[in-house]
Amino acid sequence: MDTASNTTVLRARDFWASLVLIALSLFFLWKTSAIPLWGGNRAGVSGTDWYNSAAIVPLFIFGGMLVLSIVLLVISVRSGGAQAALSAAGIGWDRAEAFRFSTIGLMLLAYVAGLVPRVDFILCSGLLITALIYGYYGGHARRAFIACIFVVAAGLFAFAAYPAQSQWNAHGDDWVTLVLWAALTLLVLQTSRSERGLRVIPVIAVLTPTILVCAMAFGFRQNVPARGGLSFKQIEYHYYVTLRPLWKD
Amino acid sequence: MDFILSQLAGFGGAFTALASDPLTYLYLIVSVFLGITFGALPGLTATLAVTILTGFFGNKIPLDYSLIALLGAYVGAIYGGSYPSILLNIPGTAASAATAMDGYPLAKAGRGGEALGLTTTASFIGTVIGTFVLLIFVWALLLISKNIASPEKALLALFGILLSGTLMSEDLVIKGWIAGLIGLAMAMVGLDPLLSEPRYTFGWSYLMSGFQVVPVLMGAFAVPQIIEGLRHVEAGKMAELTGRILPNMASIRRYLPTIGRSGVIGTGVGALPGVGEDVAGWVSYGVGKAVSKEGDKFGRGSLEGLLCSETANNACIGGALIPLLVLGIPGSPPAAALMGAFKINNVIPGPTIDPEIILRVVAILIMASLTMFLMGLFTARIFIKILRIPQTVFLPVVMVLTTIGSFSVGGGINDLYLMLGVGAVAYFMNLMKYPIAPLVIGVILGGLFDETFRRSLFLSDGDLSVFISRPGAAILVTLNILLILSQLPIVKRAFSRLKGVTA
Repeated sequence: MDTASNTTVLRARDFWASLVLIALSLFFLWKTSAIPLWGGNRAGVSGTDWYNSAAIVPLFIFGGMLVLSIVLLVISVRSGGAQAALSAAGIGWDRAEAFRFSTIGLMLLAYVAGLVPRVDFILCSGLLITALIYGYYGGHARRAFIACIFVVAAGLFAFAAYPAQSQWNAHGDDWVTLVLWAALTLLVLQTSRSERGLRVIPVIAVLTPTILVCAMAFGFRQNVPARGGLSFKQIEYHYYVTLRPLWKD
Repeated sequence: MDFILSQLAGFGGAFTALASDPLTYLYLIVSVFLGITFGALPGLTATLAVTILTGFFGNKIPLDYSLIALLGAYVGAIYGGSYPSILLNIPGTAASAATAMDGYPLAKAGRGGEALGLTTTASFIGTVIGTFVLLIFVWALLLISKNIASPEKALLALFGILLSGTLMSEDLVIKGWIAGLIGLAMAMVGLDPLLSEPRYTFGWSYLMSGFQVVPVLMGAFAVPQIIEGLRHVEAGKMAELTGRILPNMASIRRYLPTIGRSGVIGTGVGALPGVGEDVAGWVSYGVGKAVSKEGDKFGRGSLEGLLCSETANNACIGGALIPLLVLGIPGSPPAAALMGAFKINNVIPGPTIDPEIILRVVAILIMASLTMFLMGLFTARIFIKILRIPQTVFLPVVMVLTTIGSFSVGGGINDLYLMLGVGAVAYFMNLMKYPIAPLVIGVILGGLFDETFRRSLFLSDGDLSVFISRPGAAILVTLNILLILSQLPIVKRAFSRLKGVTA
């Protein structure tokens, strides 16, 4: 893309961004109006004077953001951003890029919101690593789509089957994730016959989360996600019962 | 002179204490190695290296070791960025963008070994210059900063955010300011620091304590990098490395004035709040091109051009730590991540910081630069091999590192949601050319700005003249106003007209 069309795309995006920023500024100014500015007594401190108010700095920030957003809107309109705002070319819409972002976004969302809180960290991270490398190594859109389905399916199952925090220790989602990971790994190994670079994926996918979670739990003695997970539970048991007595005694 | 000698004596004590501890070497070697690796891999940055290591070492080991790990990674990553710049013509970090201008032509001409040797030496000397300036000036500034009261602190925080927004914007300056305001707005979430009034918590108890720094850092710096980097990139043709990677002492002696000038420029740029190593590298390169007798050779494989950028970007590290340690205002994006590490260790950088910590920071920087120098000379071929790893292979690993690091600092799933949310916002901001550094600096300085601004008003009974009645505050108000005015189109036009007349 040349510089002129780059600028057109940027100004068209600025048009939309400024509208979103104006809306957000107004919303938060309205929310700020709920914080007493004059009068009121908060936490035992008289708030009769305006300069005592907790709303002063937020008013300054959101007021400033509103002004700057309006200036950005004016710049965008003057540079033709409003005219280009509704055209696909104007906002720089790229179908392949949108697909790439959506699949990565869905995988990360499924991982963080669905899998990490509920599923054994080694299993869900192994699945994510396998899916991301398989999906984006070499730039094949079909592979990215398949990889996305695997991770989203695991995340959705965990989220739907065990929504409440009290259920997060159940192992049904661990097994589903393990099966999906194994299936995806088989697919990876099959593809790796023609693409040697993929052979390394299972090794990275197993070793990385295992080393990380063990270092964090036993090296740094920190909490790790889903401590009662299928494989970590076994590792933790054998660390304290089988291994640790070797040097502790 | 006595002052400098006493400083050097203090530094000697801190250096000896560190050097006599075997664990120091373990943390140094591991962190500098990881730092160079992060820097060498295009797609990973120095900020990301420090941020991710903050998740791992930030509050899990004693502060001294934590500082060794983070500063070692910082020094290593800034240097490591030169490998792909020289061998692939792809800057490993933004800080090394100027290095590619002359490094790659040198490598193509069969002088890659010489270029890497010089880069290693220049990075080492640059770090030492920056550290020496840090050692001397931080104390003078600390003495001055003891007289800084709430109005000056509030105005300084605002100046830091504005300056960072102004200098880090690729597109319109206004976008940098908006990014800074978004960061400030994020810092307003939670109980306010003076009256404990809940703000923008939406009834969610997690938000009562405000946004945690580490998940915000991870989200802002790591997630967009991962989303952006997960694409197929044809591996560039690596320039063949010929010759041994050794410092060319004749060239070093010849270009000593250039190295000294670049070191001073790098440190100076680093000392500006929120301005990073990339700006330091380019400013030094630009100045070098303008003043050098060989300026016309810059961009065509000039050793002097290479030294300009590489010395400056490493010297910037010491400079960036000056405002961080003296005022609590990060001098660069990696310094902002370092500030996060200080915060989670309950160390408040600024006028009240323990002077011992500053001496240890200086000693660590010297040891880290020595480690980097030795690794650069003797293990460079390992890092060259690392360059061949595609980013689609290492970025998924970075995602897992980020997740467990972010989780372990706060120990909660909510931190991960915050990380992902901030990451999505930062990705779209990147797409629309909003700089991320002012946002992060806004989040970090927002609490300080809120507290000191309101305390000033509280102590003056709402009299706004408190911001101009003190000499320091008056200077800072003037600087803030001038900075804003200088970006107005009408003022810019007037300046360019004036330039035309004088030319």
